[in-house]
Amino acid sequence: MEIRNRLNLANVGSDYIHAAGRKLENMHDHLLELESKGEVKVMHINSENRAKDALTLFGWKKLIPTNKIWHHKSCGQCGNIPGYPVSLLWLMNQFGLEYIDERNQTSCTAWNYHGSATSNPVGLASVAARNWHRAYELGYFPVNHCATTFGDYKEMRNLLVENKELRDEVKRIMHKIGRDLVIPEYIIHYSEWVHVMRFEIAKIKKYDLGHVTVTVHPACHTYKMIPEDCIYDKDIYAGKRTAVSTGVALALGAKVADYSTWYDCCGFGFRHILTERETSRSFVMDRKIKPMVREANSDVCLTQDTGCTTTLDKNQWIGKAMGYTEQVPVMADVMFAALVCGADPYKIVQLQWHTTDWRPLCEKIGIDWKKSEEGYNAYLEELKAGGKPQNLYEYK
Amino acid sequence: MEYDEKGVSIVPLDFKKEIFKEARKDFRYDEYVLGCLNCGVCTGGCPPHRFFDFSPRIVLQNLKTKDPELIWTMMDEYIWACFQCFTCAMICPFLNNPGGAIAILREIAVRRGFESARKVLKPYSRVLLKLTAYGNQLSPDMIQPDFFPDWGPDISYASADLKVKRKAIPMPTLQITNLSWDVSPEAMKELYEIFDESGVFKIIEAVDPSLYEIIMDIVEDVRSS
Ligand code: SF4
Ligand code: SF4
Ligand code: SF4
Repeated sequence: MEIRNRLNLANVGSDYIHAAGRKLENMHDHLLELESKGEVKVMHINSENRAKDALTLFGWKKLIPTNKIWHHKSCGQCGNIPGYPVSLLWLMNQFGLEYIDERNQTSCTAWNYHGSATSNPVGLASVAARNWHRAYELGYFPVNHCATTFGDYKEMRNLLVENKELRDEVKRIMHKIGRDLVIPEYIIHYSEWVHVMRFEIAKIKKYDLGHVTVTVHPACHTYKMIPEDCIYDKDIYAGKRTAVSTGVALALGAKVADYSTWYDCCGFGFRHILTERETSRSFVMDRKIKPMVREANSDVCLTQDTGCTTTLDKNQWIGKAMGYTEQVPVMADVMFAALVCGADPYKIVQLQWHTTDWRPLCEKIGIDWKKSEEGYNAYLEELKAGGKPQNLYEYK
Repeated sequence: MEYDEKGVSIVPLDFKKEIFKEARKDFRYDEYVLGCLNCGVCTGGCPPHRFFDFSPRIVLQNLKTKDPELIWTMMDEYIWACFQCFTCAMICPFLNNPGGAIAILREIAVRRGFESARKVLKPYSRVLLKLTAYGNQLSPDMIQPDFFPDWGPDISYASADLKVKRKAIPMPTLQITNLSWDVSPEAMKELYEIFDESGVFKIIEAVDPSLYEIIMDIVEDVRSS
């Protein structure tokens, strides 16, 4: 194995992917075994889903659906970073893909669980099963926007496969609400959709990114929770780190630079971001933003989760009061991809909700954000005067 | 948690034994708590370890002693320092899941309405209310400058003219201000049923009875709608 990492860049190849010394059970196989015994129903990927292959930590194959997607939205994204889901739907529109975004979906409740412990495995697994079943009855495959939903649903899938008692209890509750326990064959994070679509996305890019340096903040709940179910690629970080987000940035032609605290969390802490904010702030500045700027001279920090995007973006202003001069704009991989493919920074990527200045990045890429701001303000006036919103799809 | 004037815990040993028994009875316990090498790898990667007197290595070591006294010492504020990031679980050479074991202990603290859990969760009640009553954890109208002054002057952008700015988001589900997306009443009702059947409502009643009352009022309204 040769690791050519002298430049500290991400596009480094190796003949192997990183196996972390672990050999765990392949839950996908166990799930299919249970299905063959008639113990559970499984929601399979079908030809309409136009799935693409990816490899996970141990080299196991994972199928990522690209079409007929049921969007499992994230409360933090929809509430606070609306450009996150909008960018994803916008990209899907560019490729003419089918999806459903609807009101008949609940939050996964896992952010709350990790912050306050006011749930339990039966509650969490039943919420997961409820949303899975909703996608199943519509014939669409669920794609989870939040990394915490992704981590939680992977964990619930494992617990459901491993424990008959839990399965029976969840089945009982599902029957009570007129549903059934149907477990998806794969639990999918939106960043995986972006990853397998990255070369297609790169074909429609509008700007050259050769002079743009990106740093990636991977989300703990993407790759540390149930780590064996996360995508790795031997040509990205030599297969030693998860490939999602970095993959799309490289495909778009940006430089992805490494930094010493890549593995660190963002400081969100679920509870801490709301009730012990000084911890989150210090963590953001000391462990993430400072190294990204000082070591990598980063133009933008790309994220793949709700909590991380909020925490890293919102806490830089207060850093100034403590003498930190480092600043870097923060956005999700999918927002960056949409931006580079010509999505409007205001109407689609909705960067106006972010607090760390992203305008210098737009200028570096060559995006006229002022024109976009004018267009957006005019649109707001139209809406105020009773105009109809222009939506990405028609709600049925 | 109760102490005498010398700071010695006066909680009876039998009660502490009962708590430990409850943790061990959890079906996840034996999967999360295996052997511990005391190597400290987990603590080396643990984010809050940098800020608090908190270490997942200690959590695993204490659990492995099976000493109810030692385990009891963690039931106070100790377990609430964890970020639930699961770095420890990913890097532990013994495949322990200290973050998962902490979640089990937290669940017990909350279920039993321990004073320490109530105190820690008090500022969390707004989030709990939104989530449990409406099936959405956060809403756009929660981002107010008074609550987040440390997020800088630009945060006021998120609350001014909110209604029209939300209408300008090109997803029909998001064009609302008091929820992240417009959760349908049928979805809310199913969620209530799940909370009833899985004991989530009971947990909230134990940890915050007055919040529970408020939630129940909303639940009744939605159920009868
Ligand atoms: S918010 Fe922090 S703890 Fe949560 S997934 Fe993101 S990096 Fe990890
Ligand atoms: S899950 Fe908790 S104990 Fe484990 S590394 Fe994260 S913060 Fe530390
Ligand atoms: S829990 Fe794992 S990583 Fe932590 S000290 Fe024990 S063996 Fe080492």
